[in-house]
Amino acid sequence: MKLATIGVGNAGSKLIDQMIEFEVETGRNLCRHALIINTARTDLAKPENIPEDRRVLMGDTHRKARGHGVGGDAEIGAEVAKTDIDEIRRVFDDVEIHEVDAVLVAAGLGGGTGSGAAPVVIDEIQKMYDEPVYGLGVLPGKYEGGRPALNAARSLQSFVNKVDNFIAFDNDAWRSRGQTIEQGYEEMNEELATRIVTLLAAGEVDESEVGENAMDSSDIMRTLDTGGVSSIGYASTELAPAKQGLLSKFNDEDQSEDESTDAAKIKGLVRRAVNSRLTVPCEVSSADRALIVFAGPPEAISRKGVESAREWLESAADTVDVLAGDDPRPGSSTLAAVVLLSNVTETPRIDEIQNQAVDAQNKIREQDAVREEEIQSLITDDDNDLDPIV
Amino acid sequence: MKLALVGVGDAGTRIVDRFVSREQATGRSITTGNILVFNTDDRVFEDTRTIPEERRVLLGDTHSAVKRRPDSADVSASAEGKGGDADRVHTGTHADTIDSYGVGGDPDVGATVAEADLPEIRRALDQIDETEVAATMLVAGLGGGTGSGVGSVLLEELNAIYETPVYVLGALPSTTEPDRRALTAARGIRTLVPLADATFLVDNEAWRHGTDSVAARHNNINEAIVTRLLALFGAGERDPEAISEMRVDSADLSRTLEVGGVATIGYATHELDRDDNDLFARLLQLLGLSNDTDDGGVDAATIKRLIRQALESKLTLPCAVTSADRVLLILSGPPDTISRKGFETGRYLLEEETTTVEVLAGDEPVSGATEITATVVLSNVTDIPRIDEIQRQAVSMHSLSTTDDHDTAGGSDSDLGDDEREDEVDPDRVLTDDTAGGEDDGDVDENDGSEVDNTNKHNAADSSVEAFDGETDHSFDFEAERDE
Ligand SMILES: Nc1nc2c(ncn2[C@@H]2O[C@H](COP(=O)(O)OP(=O)(O)OP(=O)(O)O)[C@@H](O)[C@H]2O)c(=O)[nH]1
Ligand SMILES: Nc1nc2c(ncn2[C@@H]2O[C@H](COP(=O)(O)OP(=O)(O)OP(=O)(O)O)[C@@H](O)[C@H]2O)c(=O)[nH]1
Ligand SMILES: Nc1nc2c(ncn2[C@@H]2O[C@H](COP(=O)(O)OP(=O)(O)OP(=O)(O)O)[C@@H](O)[C@H]2O)c(=O)[nH]1
Ligand SMILES: [Mg+2]
Ligand SMILES: [Mg+2]
Repeated sequence: MKLATIGVGNAGSKLIDQMIEFEVETGRNLCRHALIINTARTDLAKPENIPEDRRVLMGDTHRKARGHGVGGDAEIGAEVAKTDIDEIRRVFDDVEIHEVDAVLVAAGLGGGTGSGAAPVVIDEIQKMYDEPVYGLGVLPGKYEGGRPALNAARSLQSFVNKVDNFIAFDNDAWRSRGQTIEQGYEEMNEELATRIVTLLAAGEVDESEVGENAMDSSDIMRTLDTGGVSSIGYASTELAPAKQGLLSKFNDEDQSEDESTDAAKIKGLVRRAVNSRLTVPCEVSSADRALIVFAGPPEAISRKGVESAREWLESAADTVDVLAGDDPRPGSSTLAAVVLLSNVTETPRIDEIQNQAVDAQNKIREQDAVREEEIQSLITDDDNDLDPIV
Repeated sequence: MKLALVGVGDAGTRIVDRFVSREQATGRSITTGNILVFNTDDRVFEDTRTIPEERRVLLGDTHSAVKRRPDSADVSASAEGKGGDADRVHTGTHADTIDSYGVGGDPDVGATVAEADLPEIRRALDQIDETEVAATMLVAGLGGGTGSGVGSVLLEELNAIYETPVYVLGALPSTTEPDRRALTAARGIRTLVPLADATFLVDNEAWRHGTDSVAARHNNINEAIVTRLLALFGAGERDPEAISEMRVDSADLSRTLEVGGVATIGYATHELDRDDNDLFARLLQLLGLSNDTDDGGVDAATIKRLIRQALESKLTLPCAVTSADRVLLILSGPPDTISRKGFETGRYLLEEETTTVEVLAGDEPVSGATEITATVVLSNVTDIPRIDEIQRQAVSMHSLSTTDDHDTAGGSDSDLGDDEREDEVDPDRVLTDDTAGGEDDGDVDENDGSEVDNTNKHNAADSSVEAFDGETDHSFDFEAERDE
């Protein structure tokens, strides 16, 4: 697939940056256009793989933002995006949209810029083009607290209502112990970039390499066509060196026995992809459609294995709509399986965030209601005997 | 956050002076020269180290109610002859008594003088470039006739001419001072808090050690104040800046403060023993036990404890932390030491302890720092015993003096009584409206409907919280309501 990508806010920008890093490292070519948009000048300077003229600062004239973020206030995030929409559109005008299959908009839903501005940007993109727009959204962890949860719950609604598919990433599912803040995010972003790029970059192989089993961009898009929220699973295995390795030795000895081991390996890889950490934990059987991409050297992808993996996923995801295909990567030393579970409807983490958000919203409303009164009573003595100076 | 500082009176002048010298010493650029001090008695000006002469403004020079200090007073100042500037300075001008120079402690005279000198004040303010800063802070001792009196007029003026927020930093008098200081402070609070975008308060009483001289006491408090203000406003203003994953930006601070009212600051540090920690971490790694420890050797528990310490530390103004409206946490330290888990659990702890969901948090990586600091701002705290105490002291003082002072006190009192009654009704009405609106918004039918005809969206929709909708302005009505 060929994508135009837009990162909104801090997390969104870092994610797009990381996707580009991964595709360059692995010789893929997914992100044909990349644009990052933020309200904080310093955050905009962080990414390493985005050209200067593809970084848009919005809201720098807004009274509350002034180039220094929106302090987690999603209303202002949305407001500045609306105010500066012409400027955003102008940067997007350069994008040769007919060269891409879809637009991907990434954001962290817990902050103010990503959660508020991304839906506004998506609206604008959809006015301009007919191509599908996918969302890639980071859900805040429980311990980030009520405000991020409220931002996320509200933004998630906007995203899902607008985009053709929303790929969710749950920060809580990906926390591990003993990390610094920097390591934590870096690791998560690498994991997410690996999954999303391996999935979406399939179908961009050289004509000569395309076998009948190759995954096609249109298959991926068809699977994403469901709308709703999606989750991605991933597993990979290092392959022994092609020529003198174990694999080729077995090949010489017994073709059919080797084939069945390979097949078992492939199926095992897919089971692992689904059962290990998904980008957002979900009930696999609640998926509407599913798709598997095998990325690796063509000789390592056993047809039998692919078919049995596909059948296994059909029953696990409880849907007949399961596509499987290859992303042949000759000479690669790893074999990866990436599984897209499209429109999963049972995602406990999203329910939790919504509950946390409702509590937060109630608390915020209570505070708003008594604020002025409490300040008045603080600064006034009991009998109101003291007069102000001016 | 870039900040302009305007000091008023002796306390204000001294704190601004110290702020600038610390700012320079720690390599942060916050005021970038946007400073100004005002006084009605210029003796303290001689003590300043960092404030250029043209930025020290003496008001009321020609006003009849302002008493000029005779030149000889300088000569008689305590340690004048004996030596270095620093020595003379810090004993000479500090006192718990009110002297008769300047406005002699009278805030009404202070306000009158400032009104009369408005042209001069405006001329002086021209030296501040508001476009260079994100906010301005007026600094004053609220018990001062100059601090509270001139300060009130100055604050009105700053509000009128600046588009950016104007904050106040006010010191509250200690119990060792005359009742008249408490009266002025209580009236100062009443005047300044509603005018300011937010008011940081420092309680000189809570920060006083019994045996200290007045000078030592003030200097220690000023040092503590400046340390906290620098941690807060200086976050992210270091050169060169390290890359941060969750940077505190000035919008985080201004959003925390935008609710108005009184703010207080907590602060705690953790000294790093880098060598030991590195060795320890390496050892654990070798033994395959490093999972519990961060690479820099500071574990999650330490960071969480530090955040708790900051919250439980002596706040600039002690208060019930549960009364906080919004909270900001800044963790500053070497980037490889700030444990993610510690940061997250510490932030959550703040939410639990303060019972507000509006907690913003960020880190400020400082390569090579030898300590980690946690700074916590509690914004719009309303349960503050010390303010009640000062008000009581003020009222008893006031009732003694009202006998000589009928007209001002009596007249305004009844006006304010009316205002207050209106205020009491309003919030209740808002409360009912909001609650009703909230219940209507949480439309269960609508939710069921969307489940039926559009199952794929069920997952994302919780109709009790509103979406950000680029097309309809629905969600922004919500904000508008709140702003009004
Ligand atoms: N996975 C991941 N999540 C991140 C990263 N950076 C921030 N987040 C999450 O994103 C949310 C904060 O969003 P940001 O993108 O930092 O905020 P923003 O959209 O720039 O908005 P403001 O900072 O409020 O102006 C929180 O839930 C963070 O946990 C990252 O690098 N990776
Ligand atoms: N006006 C003013 N006085 C200061 C400043 N810094 C320190 N002092 C005072 O100078 C005197 C000597 O400073 P101390 O702080 O006690 O000791 P020091 O280590 O020499 O100085 P510092 O660490 O810079 O305060 C004390 O009375 C301080 O309060 C400043 O920036 N402005
Ligand atoms: N923290 C701190 N408080 C001070 C300092 N100096 C004075 N104060 C406090 O500020 C209050 C006002 O004192 P000054 O600043 O001397 O008064 P002023 O504003 O110059 O006004 P006058 O009453 O006209 O002298 C006092 O009640 C003290 O509580 C100081 O250096 N540090
Ligand atoms: Mg940000
Ligand atoms: Mg004085």
